[in-house]
Amino acid sequence: MNCPRLKDWFGERYDTGALRKYVRGKLLPAHRYSLWYYTGGIALFLFILQFVTGMALAMYYVPHAEFAHKSIIEIVTKLNAGWFFRSLHHWGAQLAIAILFVHLFAALLLKSYRKPRELLWYSGFILLGIAVFFGLSGYLLLWDERAFAAVRVATGGAGALPLIGNFIKAFLRGGIDVTGETLTRFYAFHVSILPLFTILLLVLHVLIVQVHGMSVPLSLKDEPRREEPFFPNVVYKDLAIWLVLLGIVVTLATFLPPEIGQKADPLAAPPENIKPEWYFLFLFQTLKLFPGEILGLNGETIAIILISGGIFILFILPALDSKSRSGQRSPLFTVIGIGYLVYFVIMTVVGYFS
Amino acid sequence: MKFLISLIVLVDFLYISLLWGEDAKPVVEVFPATPIHQYAIYGNLAIFWIGILGLLVIIRMKLREIERVQRMGLDKEQS
Repeated sequence: MNCPRLKDWFGERYDTGALRKYVRGKLLPAHRYSLWYYTGGIALFLFILQFVTGMALAMYYVPHAEFAHKSIIEIVTKLNAGWFFRSLHHWGAQLAIAILFVHLFAALLLKSYRKPRELLWYSGFILLGIAVFFGLSGYLLLWDERAFAAVRVATGGAGALPLIGNFIKAFLRGGIDVTGETLTRFYAFHVSILPLFTILLLVLHVLIVQVHGMSVPLSLKDEPRREEPFFPNVVYKDLAIWLVLLGIVVTLATFLPPEIGQKADPLAAPPENIKPEWYFLFLFQTLKLFPGEILGLNGETIAIILISGGIFILFILPALDSKSRSGQRSPLFTVIGIGYLVYFVIMTVVGYFS
Repeated sequence: MKFLISLIVLVDFLYISLLWGEDAKPVVEVFPATPIHQYAIYGNLAIFWIGILGLLVIIRMKLREIERVQRMGLDKEQS
């Protein structure tokens, strides 16, 4: 696209020479693992999609327990393409969280977290946590039976943490139980608090990538490798992938629009065989492994502590992996990473089929 | 290509994961019920995919040209 007058207008007012030189000179390593570099861009694209569709839905959604369910029914039945925007938002969320897990495990197994990119890992890990909370908070906004029961279980689980559990539960629920207060609170999280933190962390995350460049796996450190320009080569490849992804999201949204269940009734029993969303299944299944009581202590509390410990160890992995920090290969942490991945996949699949 | 195949497998997994929602009793029709609207939607989807495929062809042509120019070193001469 060539707009000489617009370029001249801009160039007379702002000195973009340094920025243009940087963009044109930016090179990315090209090797057999460079395919995984694109997962971050895919996640970014899906976040943008979520922001756009979310803004459209927020114009019509009513965050009140009496009217929330009805407002979604009106979006789906009365608005032009309202069902489509809701479906896009639903599938965008599913794919965004899935690709974030892929991105996490790629960074884990390729040891992209090693020095000097530790902050990338920490900020990315927090972003994944925020994305999962986006999913949970968005799920409740439908205010149907399943969403209500799922959030009750999820916030109840957080309450099993010792010392701080009750505070977290009360903070999330806005009270003792899941009520209209919880809905309003989750709405505030979903449309305001979480997007703000996401944008701040994303900017930090992308800036750190610009500072350090792309990480090259240790196994390829000593091999000669070529580089390709970010602009225009990688930009065009990113664009192609984003186009295919957009097609996939639109196709899923068209053929598999999410259903709307019965309106939530806080006094009714939860639906039978209720299960959380797929990205919580591994937690749900792990909780099921523990008996009600272990050596006189509450089994659920022990399970939550162990799960939290496992997640915390994953979070601080850059600090633990001293070998890769000094540029050496660390097979132990490769095995640990594969262990985490296998556990996540197996427990998710078992949770789905059980 | 491998990446696209992985993406398709992932999408299939997610599709299967949706099937567990059978227990929910749907209250509302979440997809337009009238045949004319359904044909319009599927027709638009087909046109959308044709557009995407066309753009992918153009991008591939541009990439091949860019890589050819870069291999010949012509881009460095111009800058």
